[in-house]
Amino acid sequence: MSFSRALTLAGRNFKEIRRDTLSLGFLFGLPVFMLVLFYFIFHKLTPQFEMRYLAPAMTGFGQAFISLFSGILITTDRSSSFMARLYATRTRPSEFIIGYALAMVPFALIQTLIFLTAAVVIDVSFFSPYLFTILPLSAVTCAFFIAAGLLLGALCNEKSVGGVASVIVMGQSVLSGMWFPTEGLEGGFMTVMNALPFKNVTVIMQNAAAGIFTFDGVLRPLIIVCAYTVVLFTLATVVFRSKMTK
Amino acid sequence: MEAIRTVDLTKRYKNIVAVDKLNLSVDQGEIFALLGVNGAGKTTTVKMLTTLTRPSEGDAFIMGKSATKEPYEVKKFIDVSMQETAIAKNLSVSENLSFYADICSIKKDEAQARISEIVESFDFSSVLNKRAKTLSGGWQRKLSIATALISRPAVLFLDEPTLGLDVLARRELWQMIEKLRGKTTIVLTTHYMEEAQALSDRIGIMKGGRLIAVDTANGFIKKTGADNFEDAFVSVIEKGGV
Repeated sequence: MSFSRALTLAGRNFKEIRRDTLSLGFLFGLPVFMLVLFYFIFHKLTPQFEMRYLAPAMTGFGQAFISLFSGILITTDRSSSFMARLYATRTRPSEFIIGYALAMVPFALIQTLIFLTAAVVIDVSFFSPYLFTILPLSAVTCAFFIAAGLLLGALCNEKSVGGVASVIVMGQSVLSGMWFPTEGLEGGFMTVMNALPFKNVTVIMQNAAAGIFTFDGVLRPLIIVCAYTVVLFTLATVVFRSKMTK
Repeated sequence: MEAIRTVDLTKRYKNIVAVDKLNLSVDQGEIFALLGVNGAGKTTTVKMLTTLTRPSEGDAFIMGKSATKEPYEVKKFIDVSMQETAIAKNLSVSENLSFYADICSIKKDEAQARISEIVESFDFSSVLNKRAKTLSGGWQRKLSIATALISRPAVLFLDEPTLGLDVLARRELWQMIEKLRGKTTIVLTTHYMEEAQALSDRIGIMKGGRLIAVDTANGFIKKTGADNFEDAFVSVIEKGGV
């Protein structure tokens, strides 16, 4: 594997995304709009929507849009002769996947920065030095969403990827516990939520923002998210390889 | 020495045989044109030779390396200009050229020299900083072909390279191909008879996935008794051979 070739691909992908201003506006703007909207409507009605819970959870939710974004990018490329032309070079499937993944990371981090800045501007009391730990943690959690997007992008075509990748956005919305308190939940539903990465992403962000850096608070959910990330990246590479030669 | 050799190369899609037991040999430095009507199997053949499509049966050897068993070894020797324009549309002309040079792992100084040469040859200087998507179809096509030349491959596949080019651009590309004669093995697919006749050392004619005849343009004219190469081509297609 050539890391320099992966970096070259990442550079191209980064430029492609950066120059797509409409999609970038959607990527950064929509979740911030939701953050503002939900905060002002609900924060006095339920603690779930206080900034200390809402902003970290929205950071995870915003990253789910990265899945959609990376899925669309890879399927658009796959349907083009540009990609077929690259398949004829010595570029390996893992280099393609790394190239796409690295290109997405800066946008995920910028998105997190925008969230946290917006949250502090709206509610200054939300600010704490612990917020600075969210950035490196979000660099790890965004890898999960990027991997999910790349796998779906490798599996789906241009028409279907939008709908299928919305499952990740829905998953992060419904199964993360960001919209409702999970303390009262028991049984199978809670087990599923704990086993899936979505709630774990929210738990990591919320605990980091609160300065709860215990094993159960950050490390255990981080291990679960990382395990999903490794599996999804591996699957994405395998599927991508199979699609390279028809 | 052979640059390309195929052994019973076959591609089937369910019940359709796109390429049927193709046996072909192309020497190093030779310009070989593949002709045929639509659906003859030319592009599928190019895709198998460039490792983009896996053969159903048989194998192709590029510079002695098996396309099925050593695809990444084959890729060291080849480059391809696809039938459709294959460029990064949000990158500028300059960025596209640099991108492909980097993908082909060409060292910075060498890449710069090759890019400068290509910019001059293709007259890209006026559009160098324009994004590819803002260029006309002809310029995009030229850029697509130019990116295939950056790696200076031992074997170059040009799948209908002049499709969509105006007469002047087509002539420019012919000159570029002429410059590569003897140094680079070129497999060219085209629908333009005059292009095949002007450029190629030998011509293979495909019909229904089979290679039905291989000869020089003059050889086809003589054997068919036709007045020109186009008539000779039609005669070969109609008779299913010479």
